[in-house]
Amino acid sequence: MNALPNPMAQRAVRGDGALAAPVSGGDQLARRLAKRYGDRVTGSFVLPGREGQFAPLPGDMPPALADALRARGIHQLYAHQAQAWNATAAGQHVVIATPTASGKSLCYTLPVISAAIRQRAKALFLFPTKALAQDQVAELLELNQAGDLGVKAFTFDGDTPGDARQAIRLHGDIVVSNPDMLHQAILPHHTKWAQFFENLRYIVIDEVHTYRGVFGSHVANVLRRLQRVCAFYGVTPQFILCSATIGNPAEHASALIEQPVTAITESGAPVGEKHVLLWNPPVVNADLGLRASARSQSNRIARTAIRSGLKTLVFAQSRLMVEVLTKYLKDVFDSDPRKAPRIRAYRGGYLPTERRAAEREMRAGQVDGIVSTSALELGVDIGALDVVVLNGYPGSVAATWQRFGRAGRRQQASLGVLVASSDPLDQYLVRHPEFFQEATPEHARIAADQPLILLDHIRCAAFELPFRDGELFGPQDATPWLQVLAEEGVLHQEGERFEWIADSYPANAVSLRSVADGNFVVVDRTDGRQTIVAEVDFSAASLTLYEGAIHMIQSVPYQVERLDWNGRKAFVTRTNVDYYTDAIDYTKLKVLEAFDGSPAGNGSAHHGEVHVARRVAGYKKIRYYTHENIGYGPVNLPDLELHTTAVWWQLPQRALEQAFDHRQDALDGFLAAAHALHIVATVAVMAEARDLQKAVGSGDGAWFATPDANGRAQLRSGFGEGEPSMSGPFVPTLFLYDAFPGGVGLSAPLYERREDLVRLARELVRRCDCRGGCPACVGPVLAADEQNARSLKSLATRVLDLIIAL
Amino acid sequence: MSALADKLRGLRRQAGVVPPAPAAVAMPAKPRPALPDNIAQLLGIRQRVQGASAKPRRTASVEPSSLPGQTIAPGLQLCETSSAWPPEPPAFHAAFARVDQMIAAERLVLFDTETTGLAGGTGTRAFMIGVGDWHEGRFRERQLLITTLAGEAAMLDCFASWLRPDAVLVSYNGKSYDSPLLKTRFRLHQRSCPLEGLAHIDLLHPVRRRWRGAWENCRLATAERQLLQVVRDDDLPGSEAPAAWLSYLRGGSAQALHRVARHNSQDLRSLGGILHRFATCDEANTQI
Repeated sequence: MNALPNPMAQRAVRGDGALAAPVSGGDQLARRLAKRYGDRVTGSFVLPGREGQFAPLPGDMPPALADALRARGIHQLYAHQAQAWNATAAGQHVVIATPTASGKSLCYTLPVISAAIRQRAKALFLFPTKALAQDQVAELLELNQAGDLGVKAFTFDGDTPGDARQAIRLHGDIVVSNPDMLHQAILPHHTKWAQFFENLRYIVIDEVHTYRGVFGSHVANVLRRLQRVCAFYGVTPQFILCSATIGNPAEHASALIEQPVTAITESGAPVGEKHVLLWNPPVVNADLGLRASARSQSNRIARTAIRSGLKTLVFAQSRLMVEVLTKYLKDVFDSDPRKAPRIRAYRGGYLPTERRAAEREMRAGQVDGIVSTSALELGVDIGALDVVVLNGYPGSVAATWQRFGRAGRRQQASLGVLVASSDPLDQYLVRHPEFFQEATPEHARIAADQPLILLDHIRCAAFELPFRDGELFGPQDATPWLQVLAEEGVLHQEGERFEWIADSYPANAVSLRSVADGNFVVVDRTDGRQTIVAEVDFSAASLTLYEGAIHMIQSVPYQVERLDWNGRKAFVTRTNVDYYTDAIDYTKLKVLEAFDGSPAGNGSAHHGEVHVARRVAGYKKIRYYTHENIGYGPVNLPDLELHTTAVWWQLPQRALEQAFDHRQDALDGFLAAAHALHIVATVAVMAEARDLQKAVGSGDGAWFATPDANGRAQLRSGFGEGEPSMSGPFVPTLFLYDAFPGGVGLSAPLYERREDLVRLARELVRRCDCRGGCPACVGPVLAADEQNARSLKSLATRVLDLIIAL
Repeated sequence: MSALADKLRGLRRQAGVVPPAPAAVAMPAKPRPALPDNIAQLLGIRQRVQGASAKPRRTASVEPSSLPGQTIAPGLQLCETSSAWPPEPPAFHAAFARVDQMIAAERLVLFDTETTGLAGGTGTRAFMIGVGDWHEGRFRERQLLITTLAGEAAMLDCFASWLRPDAVLVSYNGKSYDSPLLKTRFRLHQRSCPLEGLAHIDLLHPVRRRWRGAWENCRLATAERQLLQVVRDDDLPGSEAPAAWLSYLRGGSAQALHRVARHNSQDLRSLGGILHRFATCDEANTQI
């Protein structure tokens, strides 16, 4: 072995020893790692391989297209591709939800190109990112060239120059764009696209699993507008959608386009068996419960895999982490500058040409190790790989499988390793391997009728085409919304019609990523920079952007220096501190109306509308790992008010008195149980932790409970100081509420799964390795309380036991 | 104010939006349809007893005589006048506008629109189309003005009927503004666009080529002052035209519409004057 430039790298490599001897596939490496690091591997399982299922090229395909496919080496189709061909030929809307790299794009390319050849029919492709759109056009052009098909495909996005736009509108057979362009540039100018719309036959939407939550709810409304414009031009295009593996592809696709959809979920592509390891970094300080960093483990696993001769991809959560891990691996593998580099980084922010070059090298097999952000999670073609290492849980089971799906060859076993970070969610998952093995991937949810989102899109739709009285928008009668817009003065009602009358361009004011346009922008001022690095929803701003807050953007810590509340701007600088900040918020909830309710153990569970009043009173500085409280800061921001939906659990006073000696214990138990329920609920609905909030209070808004400096519940009746006056029965209530005004549909699925959630929360608390409680289960506790019989863990369990339906 | 509007305003405030002030709009006295159940639930609008909150419509009983022109179709006024100035140009070669044709005056159709705004896209409409031509030796102006939104189709049809197949359009910035806007309106009314394929002399471009840098700008008001010594009296700024029409549409006075019509008329006459200058000076091949 040549001397490595970095002595640390040198030592690390020596330490690998026989672990790095060549292997034939991921299975052998999996066994070797499990044997050597048995204490770190918390779960291990194998998904069996599958033979390919093939079908001949359809006979009803235009011969020129069949020739083009053969020229590209495609002599037969996978079964699911043939199935998609037949379903589209039968005029059905189709969603294809098969694993990564199973040849999904051919499912829509074939019908679209046939229709273009035969009838000069047009197609609109929507991708969530520009990079994917460009890949798709490159692929279409190659196929077109191979068969000299004469089909013209163009991307149409923010980078398309003005003079090219006219030509694309008139001559494009296939226009590849994204939902934002459709929303802001195409639909409000649909008359310029008249020729395109009049001949529009197919609408292809790829990666539909990314259209969920707020973004998905907006996209569903953009599709309502698209279908409305299509109807104006007398066409009813057919939809072909593609999705990564999610729990409800047909339901989700059908929710997006509001039409019945045929789902194709069985892949005919052959795959080798897949090994999965769940990996928890070793404990390095038993007293503090401190574990080694995920980064060190990911680095070690990737190094071992590459040295064993396996092509390896590491997913990191941030751009910074990509650079760090790339450097570590390069120190080992690219020490000789005369040789072509074996390690490559891949992330957003690179120039398209750089990205193309990296993709080409990967496909050609010249690269042995790739470190990437989620940029490679979607369908960019990078050829076959053997090992995928996830440096941290990507946030959902579906995304985990999608990333693991990047590894896999036809003949050979592949390996996926999930390395847990210290994040509570990661720790939860890595300790529950059965969650992974058994869990169906999450369901993608949208709430297309969220009132503010709906209002925004009816506004945009009225700009595009007048509304008739009683006209439906989606399933809704639009009339009441139109009247609101008329009262606002942007529409004019005349007879049976509502027409746009204002001098404004409403699509510009509607961002597809937020509920309304009161967002804050986060401006990075580090080293004289003045660049926008993030956007934060209005409702989350007071919790995350107060002056002094440590605000994480893609795992990089920034400190908020100044918050311009009225200007909706937060100015931040990069920082390097060993603590994070946690807002001390006083949240008072009042139930306005229960939509639904049912018994839950000794108590009851409900779903309904709530009024939330929240004040951020200050913040705590909490040291990483030890979770010590190392300081406080004041916050002075306006109170926040929110009408939203929530799910809540209540226990009657009698049940509580039987189970707890003191009210204090009961309240501590409620707060601790809320912490655990919040963790499992976030996973269950694929939500961002900040989009779903928790609170404990009285249900009628008389009092609420917040943890004090010792993690114990403190009762308050208002936002000022002072003891609450406790009159009436003592009925503590545990709320999980949707953090958007009007809600975005998170609470209904939580209510449906209420029994599961309580059970999962109880499991989480029971199986957590900590003694008395920790941030991964019931929230931080003081070391002194750990031995206590009245530990938060036991109190939380008692509460959860009482509300569990037996 | 409806319960829905109240509720939405509240939610938008909670989302950080400063809600727009409601416009002073006369709402039709019409029973509000009940909200669908799911929306009522989403919005948390419980069954409230709604007072008879519907305001009576301020009926727009403006006498037609107070509007400019004659009513020629429901919701459509035509205002026709003629004047000696600007003089009719002789047949000219339109090379100055990069149109390689000899053009006789009877083919010329000067046009200028007044619109509801500058936002662009499908939501902006023309409420007035002014057309000028030389007819029987005089400069004739015909202005179409809609007084209801429903009058738009008749306005477009009437305008289309004035365009012969060999018409030559003359405008100021019409190639990038008025013409695409009218194309959009014809398209939205599912009519073929009569502007398609016609020659178009957009005088902004030759004016810019000659006087960019020499004048403070090349707007029509500047060109007419420099070339024709036109000074406007009591002119309604173009930017106020949308408000004038909107206010009439909502039941307000027709008074400001007369000022809009005068403004539009001056635009047409200046257009004719500038065209005459180009046509006659280019013919002699001398500097203007």
